[in-house]
Amino acid sequence: MAKDKITSSSTAEYFSKNLQQVGFSSPTKAVLTTLKEAVDNSLDACEEQGILPEISVVIEKKGTGTLKNTDLIHIRVEDNGPGLSLDDVPKVFGEYLASSKFGRGRCSRGQQGIGISAATTWAQLTSAKGVTVTTKTKTMRQAVQVQVAVDIKHNKGVLKEKKEGKLKNPHGLSVEFLIDGRIQLQGEGGLITYLTGTALVNPHLTLHYTLPDQKPVTISRVSNDCPEVPSATEPHPHTMKLGEFIAHSHLFGRITLKAWLKKGFSRISDNSLAEFVKNGLNKKMLDMSVDKINEAQFKDIFSVIHKTELMSPSTKSVMTIGEESFSKSVRRLGEVDFFSVVTRKPTICDYKPVAVEVAVARLKGVTKGEGTEDGPVQVLRFANRVPLQFDKSACAMVKAIESVNWRAYGLQQPKDSLPSGPYVVAVSLVSPFIKFKNASKETIDASDELVEELRRTLIQAGQRLSRHIKKEHREQDLENKLRYIEQFCPILVDCLCRITKAPEKRKKKATEGLEKILGRDLTAAKKEFKEADLAAKEAAAKGKIQIITDDAVEAPELEEKPSKGKKREVKSQQPEAKPTKTTAKASVKRAASKEKSAT
Amino acid sequence: MRSETIPKISKELCNRMLSDLENARRPILEAVKCSLDNSNYSPKVGYLTPGDKKVRTELNVSSVQKMSRAIFLLEVLLRNIDTGAVNTKRELYYIAKGEVKHDPHLKPLDFQDQSESDAVIDFICEMLECYREDLNCYANDRGGQTYSNQLVVTETLPDGTKAVVDLSSLGTSPFQPKNRPQSLQLKAKKKIDFCLVVESEGTANTFVANGFCKRNNSILIGAQGVPSNAVRGWAKLIQDQLRVPIYFFGDLDAYTIQNIYRTLKAGSAASLIRNSDFSAPDVHFLGVLPEDIKKYDLSDYPVKETDQSEARALKKAADALKNDPFFQDKRNKNLAKMLEWLLKNKRRCEQQAFFMVDPRDPTMPEKIIVEKIKKGNFI
Ligand SMILES: Nc1ncnc2c1ncn2[C@@H]1O[C@H](COP(=O)(O)OP(=O)(O)OP(=O)(O)O)[C@@H](O)[C@H]1O
Ligand SMILES: [Mg+2]
Repeated sequence: MAKDKITSSSTAEYFSKNLQQVGFSSPTKAVLTTLKEAVDNSLDACEEQGILPEISVVIEKKGTGTLKNTDLIHIRVEDNGPGLSLDDVPKVFGEYLASSKFGRGRCSRGQQGIGISAATTWAQLTSAKGVTVTTKTKTMRQAVQVQVAVDIKHNKGVLKEKKEGKLKNPHGLSVEFLIDGRIQLQGEGGLITYLTGTALVNPHLTLHYTLPDQKPVTISRVSNDCPEVPSATEPHPHTMKLGEFIAHSHLFGRITLKAWLKKGFSRISDNSLAEFVKNGLNKKMLDMSVDKINEAQFKDIFSVIHKTELMSPSTKSVMTIGEESFSKSVRRLGEVDFFSVVTRKPTICDYKPVAVEVAVARLKGVTKGEGTEDGPVQVLRFANRVPLQFDKSACAMVKAIESVNWRAYGLQQPKDSLPSGPYVVAVSLVSPFIKFKNASKETIDASDELVEELRRTLIQAGQRLSRHIKKEHREQDLENKLRYIEQFCPILVDCLCRITKAPEKRKKKATEGLEKILGRDLTAAKKEFKEADLAAKEAAAKGKIQIITDDAVEAPELEEKPSKGKKREVKSQQPEAKPTKTTAKASVKRAASKEKSAT
Repeated sequence: MRSETIPKISKELCNRMLSDLENARRPILEAVKCSLDNSNYSPKVGYLTPGDKKVRTELNVSSVQKMSRAIFLLEVLLRNIDTGAVNTKRELYYIAKGEVKHDPHLKPLDFQDQSESDAVIDFICEMLECYREDLNCYANDRGGQTYSNQLVVTETLPDGTKAVVDLSSLGTSPFQPKNRPQSLQLKAKKKIDFCLVVESEGTANTFVANGFCKRNNSILIGAQGVPSNAVRGWAKLIQDQLRVPIYFFGDLDAYTIQNIYRTLKAGSAASLIRNSDFSAPDVHFLGVLPEDIKKYDLSDYPVKETDQSEARALKKAADALKNDPFFQDKRNKNLAKMLEWLLKNKRRCEQQAFFMVDPRDPTMPEKIIVEKIKKGNFI
């Protein structure tokens, strides 16, 4: 017992001294991490109870901070979840490692029970005030507001100033932090990047947010299906390192090795136990209590297990957003031109079940930052539906994107880099055992198997997208050809006639001949465009790619006409051809040149 | 081909194009394919000659811009030939821009930068199979500074008058050959023993200042790197009109042998149609030879493969051994061996290293060069 106390008190002390490891390494990151921990918790809590989440976020500047170069920032997150009973509040907000989900092999967002307590600690350290929690469960008659502080010495939450509170919903929870920090809205670590990303992978979420100097925003849910988080899966023994293996045994107390192996892991059956013995495990050991096994013995057991073939873990424990909901959600990203989404069947990578989903979307009117015309595309990464916002370069997802040849799908791409252009590439990985490169969980470890699975998904998305991009290229090509014919024909014939001193009669005949020749090319170009257009439309009909048609990226309707009077025909097609930017420009130019030739 | 015939074949070409158009046929322009895979080499001919491969440009929607630009610039060039005016490529770029400015109809032709108009000029040359100079378009030819106490050059000027230049009367100033070899007539006042082409113009200048031309009945030329058309035409002229042996003296490295020396001796793949007048097949490689390093105890140093340009030079040399008919020919076996040696040992030795043989004697390099010529110590 006494021993327990020491460990838990040092836990709180350890984290309060090492907050930078869990997302509080800079003032900007502190704001983002606090927001993220609160929102992730709300989403988890709602999902757990099958509630469609509606979350309100308000972030305001309240003055200057005590730390250098910081503002005093107020962060409030309110949900319509189940709420917490008053007994649980101090544990959740003031005690480290007090999570209902700790190490349990589920695909929930929270995994450790560190997040929100760390936020409370940061608030306490910088503004001398912990967190203000307002909670109401279904059974509580009235919402209650309390302040929670972390008792760092004893790893315990302390309640203060309990009073009546107010919430928007019949049940739910609201958290308020006052912290030193700095606001960054856009870009890698931006708050808006986090919020829109969260909305993207949570189609069932309605999100209201108000940020400093910004109009309030509401992103409404596009799906009424509350995702069901599959029940926990035990870890597969082949995924573990010796240390993890031994630590895992401590969770089970006094239990025989046999029982522990069968209960604590997935895919270990009586048959496997027999196999272990065949492969050199001392049969007597199986009945030993795990708390009696020493390190050397663990090592032997561990190596026998690794020598033995086991069934791959089941993929039942992972979940996906699904192409339909994901598609609807993509349209919430902004003004989307067209996009494709791919949901892969769950599979096994490195003995762990994983599910990968990808969306690639082209946005309209992006002028700043990533995802502009000539900059790299904007990459959105998600691990168990939580946006990852830092250290992207070493991440398995970025490696996978870079390894795909996007040029084949009509995107620009410098060698060995991210493709460029006004695109968003969103990659979501769901797995109960995601391996991160570091403690702040921002970079997914790039194992070959995982990168390959990600890569395949991206390739599929790229292929789907390419049908539309190809159509656009053909359209552009056709446009150029139309323009070229009008512009260069008279110049070429004029020059030739001047050099040869040819009479007017020849000039007329040559002009007609040239138009006939180029008219043939045009017919061919139209055919190519038609084919590409058809392919794109087919893909769209099959739901593989979505083209946002409300202000029509639709192609000009082209029809064959007899080849004489080509020139007029060319012009008569223009009015329908306006939607794309290039087309519009081209027709303006054409009109201008017509005017000039008329004068 | 000479300037007089250009207007004629241009008119013929345009006429053909025009009648093709009248008959709604696509005009097709054929040009010699100027690339290594269309290069032939025979030691009897001495320079790279074109094979049968042609590049065909057919008039279609995609090429109509290029062809319109070509015919437009051709008109400008023909006007120059008619009036005897000459221009550089850059000047032509501005002339084209001026035309467009004065006639808004031509706007679609407008060149965004000089590389675009340069490409069109090259295209016209390939179409007419003529030299750029035939179109009265001259580059600012660098290199070729020439020193001699025996050589007399007679130049026929465009207006028909003649200018005579006795190189011995120029003091330490060089004679600078222009890229019109056909208008020059060479004469030796006294027997000339040899002609030496030095890769570095600076070193050539040092030799002269130290009295090289006083002591040797010779012609001394500074190449200034890869020989320009002027240098190549000039060397060919010396070879043909004076019949003196020509030696090249430069660095021992892949770039010098594969590019500088090969171009001087046999022309280049990019200029297949003009190599006959722009290469001196009789030129010898005097040094630095691999054996000179040992013989004269010269400092050499390793090639930095991390340096992009040096790595590229090595790659091009390896390529040349595989694909360049010049290096594949038996007669150039020794040169190919030298390239192989350089690729294998990845070392280089500069021409100036001869100055270390006797640091107190500024004429030491000259002595070694003369000795090498006497003893036949060259390739
Ligand atoms: N808004 C909420 N509504 C209801 N329950 C909550 C809410 N926030 C937190 N909880 C409960 O408190 C527990 C602890 O949360 P905490 O953020 O500390 O850990 P976690 O989310 O499990 O893991 P992580 O440290 O990875 O965030 C959660 O597991 C959940 O049961
Ligand atoms: Mg949490």
